[in-house]
Amino acid sequence: MCLAIPYRIIELLDDNRAFASTGNVKAEVRTDLVKDLEVGDPVLVHAGFVIEKIDQDYSEELEGLWANIRELAGEDQ
Amino acid sequence: MEKITIGHGSGGRLTQELIGKVLELFPPQLVAQDMEDCTFVNDYMAMTIDSFTVTPRVFPGGDIGKLAVCGSANDLAVRGIEPEHMAMSLVMEEGFDLDELRGYIRSAVKVCRELGLKLSAGDTKVVPRGAIDGLFITTCSVGNRKTPEPLGMTRLRPGDQLVVSTSIGRHGATIGASRFNLDAEGLRSDCASLWSFIRKILHLKGLRCLRDCTRGGLGTSLCEWAEGTGLGIEVREEGIPVSEEVSAICDILGFDPLYLACEGCALIGVSPADTEELLSILGEDPLCEDAAVIGEVVEEHERIVGMKTRIGGMRIIDMPVGEMLPRIC
Amino acid sequence: MSKKDPSRIEPILKAISKLARRPVVLMEVCGTHTVSIFRHGIRSLLPSSIKLLSGPGCPVCVTAQGDIDAALSLSRMKDTIIATYGDMLRVPGTSTSLMEERSAGRDIRIVTSSSQCLDIARQNPGREVIFFAVGFETTAPATASMIVEAADLALDNLSVINFHKRTPPVLDTLAREPDLQIDGFILPGHVSVILGHGPYSFLAHKYGKASCIAGFEGEDILLAIADLCLQIEGNQPRISSVYPRAVRPEGNATALELMEKVFRPGDAIWRGIGSIPDSGLVLRDKYSLFDAAVKWELKIPEVAPPEGCRCGEVLSGKIEPLDCPLFGTACTPLKPVGPCMVSSEGTCAAYFRFARGGKPEWKK
Repeated sequence: MCLAIPYRIIELLDDNRAFASTGNVKAEVRTDLVKDLEVGDPVLVHAGFVIEKIDQDYSEELEGLWANIRELAGEDQ
Repeated sequence: MEKITIGHGSGGRLTQELIGKVLELFPPQLVAQDMEDCTFVNDYMAMTIDSFTVTPRVFPGGDIGKLAVCGSANDLAVRGIEPEHMAMSLVMEEGFDLDELRGYIRSAVKVCRELGLKLSAGDTKVVPRGAIDGLFITTCSVGNRKTPEPLGMTRLRPGDQLVVSTSIGRHGATIGASRFNLDAEGLRSDCASLWSFIRKILHLKGLRCLRDCTRGGLGTSLCEWAEGTGLGIEVREEGIPVSEEVSAICDILGFDPLYLACEGCALIGVSPADTEELLSILGEDPLCEDAAVIGEVVEEHERIVGMKTRIGGMRIIDMPVGEMLPRIC
Repeated sequence: MSKKDPSRIEPILKAISKLARRPVVLMEVCGTHTVSIFRHGIRSLLPSSIKLLSGPGCPVCVTAQGDIDAALSLSRMKDTIIATYGDMLRVPGTSTSLMEERSAGRDIRIVTSSSQCLDIARQNPGREVIFFAVGFETTAPATASMIVEAADLALDNLSVINFHKRTPPVLDTLAREPDLQIDGFILPGHVSVILGHGPYSFLAHKYGKASCIAGFEGEDILLAIADLCLQIEGNQPRISSVYPRAVRPEGNATALELMEKVFRPGDAIWRGIGSIPDSGLVLRDKYSLFDAAVKWELKIPEVAPPEGCRCGEVLSGKIEPLDCPLFGTACTPLKPVGPCMVSSEGTCAAYFRFARGGKPEWKK
């Protein structure tokens, strides 16, 4: 429910199609579900459709959880 | 009235089931013992048979002709048998292009030349249009063993190391990419004749057995050894070589690389004492660039193959059931 | 496939051990989570106080027998091409499956994207193309997009047999079940990419259940379990997420709008569970030209589950596979009856492997 994997946009073809690549494999993907994509954007692709842009600066949001984890694990941080 | 499904041909449990149904009709005295990749018909001579129905018939890294000779030659090679004679059957669909056929035969001849393998019998048949998909090739190969004793899985002992000669799943991933229109630059089938490096390790006293990891992939071969010997096997995910391209194809289609067919990968069982020398010899062969120790035979969890995952967990590796299908879930 | 640093795993496991002093029951409701949990060997890493149940999360496997039978009847129509995701091939109807129909010579093609159906329809103008649409909210927008495009192109030889299902209603059914003592849910990461956090809020507010949206790497799942244990230990149930890199709290607005345009909620039958109100996605009347059930006047039979099948209770964690009379005899991975065995990593299929050689004691 569902296999979606990270790709990078390498070429925008038109309004709703793009070329994307993951690990040296290139595929044509549909971009109907995510607007304003740019070449180089990391995206999640499911069943041939881009379903979201991946946010690479997410780690701050997990800071609180990691702090709890480190404390419980008995680490000095 | 049960029907054969495509899953019965994928290697793994269903194929095992089908083979069982065929064998059970033979009285025991009319079935050879110890049928692994090939079977000894007397002390020295062994034979094997294999059919090739692959589509597409041409793929990055080879074609059906190359596959047909490598396939049965490898089944001999993994038991330390030097392939000497080959019988080949060609079944063609009406309307098949003669030049296309010639191309495949030339590929087959190239491998025969490398091996010194002689075509000693052959047969051709043509069937009406639509009866088969283009071309089926069957090869039966025969040779004599070059080892002091026959190699086989019964020689495995707890503590023996398990090695793969190259990265896994390249053939299956290449065919998968082709079938589902994925452009994977740099992905090629590993289709190759294994005798070129196998003959260099046969002198190792600690060499127990080898297996040609074809249908059903590495995972199936590991299960066959565990179930065939009653021993346990433990492998490490981190240690199993998988190329970036194969990984990507597996991610996209939802395949598990453990079960993708290989056509130029040997699984090798070797004593701890001879492991280093084995790796050193393999390292000199261009076909074995990614050779690696992947695990060992153990006493615990008899007949079960366990894998230590990248995050340190343990999971079971079982035989796949039926055809591997692309998933979206 | 990212190479995660294994040293990040250790503190998470230590934290989980400290937190889960009392028994905790967690359930994941995503087929891909079921597979990931198995592939990473997650259960072998958890303390015995944590029970991790596999819920009805594989949308393919919970497709009802009657639905499959109706769909298979379409595959036998003349000049018909069936397009389906690979997952569907093995799911059994009452007497046959797509795989078997394909063996019998029907034109059944595997697609990896719904948009490929448009190409198939255009390339085969004299034949009818029927797409088997399965999946939860992750996949429904792709189907919606295909239907809108088919309408724009005025294609008259393409229709969809629609089995799409919704996640929140089945969560509601599970959360409210008194016999089930589920403390927390691992929520499906990619469904949540589409839905966001909002549709799950009832889990905390109405039922006091902990929940956490998780991705699919080993570390993601373990982080989610740690987060759930924190919620449960501190008695602070909420909708949390350890997948912020992909899931926005508001979800994917474009995908949600497209789904709203093409689908509306309707009742649906879940294999092994029965009918759950509003748990399906039904094509709006505007698109009835593309609804195979309407176009071909399909009567979807209500098929009683096979006698003895207790999948519903296994799926909802009420019983173990070994308690089901069909397990291992009438129902095996080679000949599966219910979804727990159809899914290669379903609860029963996974147990079946253990049953062969006993549950292995892994060397520490």
